[in-house]
Amino acid sequence: MTTSTAAPGAREHGRPRLLTGRYAIIYLFVLPAFVLRMLYSFIPLVQTVWLSLTNRSLVNPGAFVGLQNYQFALTRDKTLINSLGYTIAYTAASTILETVLGLGIAVLMMQRLRGRGFSNFVMLLPWVMAPLLAGVVWRVLYWEQSGLLNFMLLEAGLVDELVRWLSDPAMARVSVIVLTVWKNVSWVALIFMAALGSLSKEVLEAAAVDGANALQRFWYVTLPLLRPSIYLVLMLRGMAEVQTFEQILGLTQGGPGNATRTLALYSYQRFFVELRYGYGSAINVLLLLLTVAIGGVFAWLLYRSGTRVAR
Amino acid sequence: MSAQVTQRARPVPFLTGERLLRLLQYALLLVTLVLLLFPIYYMFATSVMTLDEFLRVPPRIVPGSINFDNYPFMIRRWDYVPGLINTIMIAGLSALGATLLGGMAAYSFSRATFAGKALMYSLLVASIAVPAMVTLGPIFITYFDIGLLDTRHGIILVYLAGGLPLAVLVLFTYYNSVPRELDDAAAIDGCGWFGTLFRVILPIALPGAFVTFLLLLIAGWNEFLFAFVLTVGPEIRVLTLRLLEVPSGTNIMQVPYDLYAVGGVLVLLPLVPLLFRVQKQLVTGITFGAVKE
Repeated sequence: MTTSTAAPGAREHGRPRLLTGRYAIIYLFVLPAFVLRMLYSFIPLVQTVWLSLTNRSLVNPGAFVGLQNYQFALTRDKTLINSLGYTIAYTAASTILETVLGLGIAVLMMQRLRGRGFSNFVMLLPWVMAPLLAGVVWRVLYWEQSGLLNFMLLEAGLVDELVRWLSDPAMARVSVIVLTVWKNVSWVALIFMAALGSLSKEVLEAAAVDGANALQRFWYVTLPLLRPSIYLVLMLRGMAEVQTFEQILGLTQGGPGNATRTLALYSYQRFFVELRYGYGSAINVLLLLLTVAIGGVFAWLLYRSGTRVAR
Repeated sequence: MSAQVTQRARPVPFLTGERLLRLLQYALLLVTLVLLLFPIYYMFATSVMTLDEFLRVPPRIVPGSINFDNYPFMIRRWDYVPGLINTIMIAGLSALGATLLGGMAAYSFSRATFAGKALMYSLLVASIAVPAMVTLGPIFITYFDIGLLDTRHGIILVYLAGGLPLAVLVLFTYYNSVPRELDDAAAIDGCGWFGTLFRVILPIALPGAFVTFLLLLIAGWNEFLFAFVLTVGPEIRVLTLRLLEVPSGTNIMQVPYDLYAVGGVLVLLPLVPLLFRVQKQLVTGITFGAVKE
């Protein structure tokens, strides 16, 4: 142990000395990861914010235009407004459905049923699939003229005519959500299974001794104890769903028309197809703000629920 | 799953018809699993149908005859093997790099005190929240300017950087679970920074590193957006991208659903034995990263 002057920042033990071999090694271990990650996350993020204030494009080196892109986007660009609305509705619907269904599956899976290993394996399959592939798979199922889904519904007498899964705008919006929920619900279930497994058995047993039935125990004991996990799932899924791009590309390509064009698909269109870097970046900044808002709200709730439990 | 776990400590019966409840639970489980599995099953089924059989009305859930002819056709026409090798290289090298660099950073975060530690750790973790789409544009422009566009190392670097937060988080948790007393004991035995890492930390954290590597490998395997924008050349395009480049079959007017299904199977299949082998570790891996912060 060193006894001489402690390095700045080495408050706890006074162990490492500045510029001695060990201190250099510490940074040598941290900096490659840190610098590389910053180069690919926050630095491009700042560049995007800067680009969004210019009218740069492939053919135009770009001049500073202030908030003009945003002004145009939010007041005149109807496609963007629709896209923003659908992104929010899509994110809310798929996140909530995933959380509710995932919790249900997790509770079911924790009932000590047989074949748990097999069930886990099956559950992991949709999760392990590339989102684009999931989109392609469901496009086969949703095929309208004589796809399997329509056939089964007709046979079962649940519908009278062929459902226009992907060609009817309203229906396509729902079809995309179904695909997303199918793809991600097992991940949510896995998180909840871990959370349920770590709940204290004593509390639940005490509630049973007090005469609470299974439903009451779930509602008044399990659910409140799960609150941090629920916020965590809502946060992570919400932030992921709001950025959805690939499975929609695989399923509908944003169509019919612009019905399922989420913000990510729309900004892709502007930035990489039309090569309007400035305007595309402005849309990306809106996407960023949405992501940060979702993350912020649930991170705050998570933090609050954590401190409350700790007290 | 060991049989002991399932049989020990059944829950207290809380309904008179406990058997009925069990039955209901199994029925629900079956429905859930069928719903989750069916689309994947149907992809397999479609892949062994001819296009004519697939297009037949009424459609079939179980193929009438199993026909593997589509596979050799796709493996040849779709250049599957070069695509596979390329995907393994890109996903594998980036996962390896991220596990290594992330593991090194996690070691410093876990075992050392230094200026800027809290800030660097927070920034690394917070960078998870930066949407890929938001970084893609500037990365594209920069890559275009410095000539990294459409190169293998360019895309590997993107995946590597993308995997770092997860690697740091998971391995940081693993390292922290190694008791500090072991460090002190190693220090008394004369182990320095590297000695402690190789003799104390790594033997215990190696399963964690393996899980991290696998999670990142799967993530790289399935990544699409960056590869879609940053690569053009057929020798660099990974398998997920090439799902968009499925060749047309004999009837060029008809969408080749059967070939899409074959492509899907060929992209998914290499992950399945991997998943079989490590599903339990993956489950803990996922939850480690997410629940334990």
